[in-house]
Amino acid sequence: MKNVRIFYTKKGRMKFVSHLDMNRFMSRMIKKTDIPIWHTEGFHPHPYIAFALPLSLGFESEYEILDIRLTDDSYPLEKIVEELNSVFPEYVRAFSVAEPITKVGKIGFADFTVTFSDNGELNDSLKAFLNSTEIIVEKKTKKGKINEIDLAPKIKSYTITDDGDTTLKITLPAGSEDNLNPELLIKAFFERCATIYSSYQITRTMIYDSQMNKFV
Amino acid sequence: MDTKKFEELLLTVQKPGRYSGGEIGSVLKDKAKVDVRFAFCFPDTYEIGMSHLGMKILYSQFNSRDDIWCERVFAPWTDFEKVMRDNNIPLFAIESRDSIKDFDFIGFTLQYELSYSNVLNMLDLAGVPLKSADRKDLSPLVVAGGPCVCNAEPLADFIDLFFVGEGEEVDLEVIDLYKKYKAENRTKAEFLAAAAQIEGVYVPSLYEVKYNSDGTVKEYTPLENAPKTVSKRIIKDLNNSHYPEQFVVPYIDIVHDRAVQELYRGCIRGCRFCQAGFIYRPVREKSMETNNRQAKALCDSTGYDELSLSSLSTSDYRELEPLLNNMLDWSEKDNVSLALPSLRIDNFSKELLDKISHVRKSGLTFAPEAGTQRLRDVINKNITEEEIIKTCRTAFEGGYTAVKLYFMLGLPTETDEDLKGIAELGQRIVNEYYKTDTRPKGKSVSVSISVSTFVPKPFTPFEFEPQITKDEILRKQEYLRSQITTKKISLSWHDSSTSFLEGVFARGDRRLGRVLEAALEKGCRFDGWDECFQFDKWLEAFSDCGIEPSFYANRQRSYEETNPWDMLDYGVDKQFLICQNKLAHKGLTTPNCREKCAGCGANKYGEGVCFEKR
Repeated sequence: MKNVRIFYTKKGRMKFVSHLDMNRFMSRMIKKTDIPIWHTEGFHPHPYIAFALPLSLGFESEYEILDIRLTDDSYPLEKIVEELNSVFPEYVRAFSVAEPITKVGKIGFADFTVTFSDNGELNDSLKAFLNSTEIIVEKKTKKGKINEIDLAPKIKSYTITDDGDTTLKITLPAGSEDNLNPELLIKAFFERCATIYSSYQITRTMIYDSQMNKFV
Repeated sequence: MDTKKFEELLLTVQKPGRYSGGEIGSVLKDKAKVDVRFAFCFPDTYEIGMSHLGMKILYSQFNSRDDIWCERVFAPWTDFEKVMRDNNIPLFAIESRDSIKDFDFIGFTLQYELSYSNVLNMLDLAGVPLKSADRKDLSPLVVAGGPCVCNAEPLADFIDLFFVGEGEEVDLEVIDLYKKYKAENRTKAEFLAAAAQIEGVYVPSLYEVKYNSDGTVKEYTPLENAPKTVSKRIIKDLNNSHYPEQFVVPYIDIVHDRAVQELYRGCIRGCRFCQAGFIYRPVREKSMETNNRQAKALCDSTGYDELSLSSLSTSDYRELEPLLNNMLDWSEKDNVSLALPSLRIDNFSKELLDKISHVRKSGLTFAPEAGTQRLRDVINKNITEEEIIKTCRTAFEGGYTAVKLYFMLGLPTETDEDLKGIAELGQRIVNEYYKTDTRPKGKSVSVSISVSTFVPKPFTPFEFEPQITKDEILRKQEYLRSQITTKKISLSWHDSSTSFLEGVFARGDRRLGRVLEAALEKGCRFDGWDECFQFDKWLEAFSDCGIEPSFYANRQRSYEETNPWDMLDYGVDKQFLICQNKLAHKGLTTPNCREKCAGCGANKYGEGVCFEKR
């Protein structure tokens, strides 16, 4: 028995597939291949798969992680990439498979790219917004209580570029300890500082541990 | 369509996966390289439509031809409909996201009367004139198929052409004729007149209907050489008919998310309330080899871990046990569980139970349909109380603790005694559980009784019968509730207003087209959904059009009356239906097709159960 970690991208029409639905999707895809996946024991055996970090509906990703367990240790890892890509739809591509190093519980940060369709008009107001000393937003807790939280100290780092449209690259806390969904930040931006409204696409580009080492 | 804008809007609605497409098994083609674009429209949500086998068969078959591109279209849920209307997004096909207005065919499948308002709403969303007469060009042609076509008269004003019976052959014949007429720049009128000559094609505009002063149909007159009677089409050899090797596998959760193998078509039983049991005659089986091969291929291509063996009465498939044995050879190894819906009580064996429970144990569902032997004889549900009890005992011995039972309320000749019988039968099953020594220890039994309201349907022996009134439905439901005294029995029933509306449209005529239009204007859609159903709006629509709905639902019809659907021939003679109706009122049963031919007329197709060696 051997644990392996699959790295893949998720884009295009697949961004409308929720985290929960990805679970079923991946089980089916693996079932179509000859990858010797370990099934849980029990009354309803099902293939054992585990995602490292959920991805919000509507986000694309260049760095997604799925852990599986093989029953045959000699199965070549590079074949897993081939097998998966032969059954995946074009919107999902596996690009690497390796034995896991980082523990899923150690996830600390993630990089996101937010691309606006604004002809650069949002550039200045976005800078001003992200430079604010505090960004207080209301957030509903699971119990329905409304908490006020300050997003500003959570922003680890960011860059804003402007090659026609405004692009924001931002590093935010992610994982079970602390987590900030960039959507929350962008919504606050549009409510407060933005001069115009523009559509935008969020892409997760990297996942790190708490020491900012790449999650591998 | 502006993809960015569209996708952003998708994120503002519930379940965007209903509209985003890109599923495995969905077919993309170059539109410049196809001759015919077909929008296959299911007038309900994605989750319902994607569960429908007929759509999967035809989608796969149409797309197997290089010159046709068939795409899927579903009714957008109310939240997305609003977004579409606010942003001027016309109804689009999921695969290409192109507006279906520019397609050659807009084809609806009619599974349920309460989806008619969605058919109209979808045409409206597409930006296509609702009425056939207002669509002057050859395309888009608005066509429809499915079981409700056996009386689609309420939709006669809106649909250019109906496919009567099974679609695999006739649909393609019509598409080929269209290709020819399109190439020759012929008119829509010319095309429809020619299409009407194809067997299984009903062009409603080519039939003129006259009415008697009492509101019943006087006669219908075919025009332009259209046939006096349109005969349904059937597939004679299911072993050599198209069956998909691949389904479109959805990402989001749908109602029936599994592989489906259609074992056979038709049903030998002849239960008198059941439309499917008559309109799909004669019974035609696929061979065990075909079923096993197709099912395996489907599981391999889709990655599904559940396979449903589908038919109207699965335990009547003659080679069921050997088929299951063959299937278990690979399904267990592949971790595929088998599901057998539609089992009958009288031929449900311990061995069968073992085979299905081998992989997955879920609840068991049976359909006694009526609470007393007298009423079960009236409806020709040839099962006895002893068989029901015996089956439940088998199930309890096999470790089951939950049984679900289906009944109908409002059947012809039904009395309160019959309703009381439902409660008593439920109680006997509960008692039987506690009498079973080998029952699962320490567990309570649960008997769920689900009671739907009987709706008389065309082409059944009960097509003459009045549906009981809404008030009577409510009274009977209340009476039945009062008869159930234990918490081990749970009771659920159908909404009386929806059953009434279903009853109106099931046997309605063309004059109901106006009501449909009026109801659409008042905002009626998704009538099969409790949260959307607006009965008061429907009553307003009837009243605005000066139409009394009870005329269609609650009136006793004479055997001599001309029915709105009498221009269609589903292979079952009207004389046979009359004879069956008389037998019902005498409480006399009819043996199933394998025991003895009842002479329904379906042997004229020269195939199937009528010619099986016995």
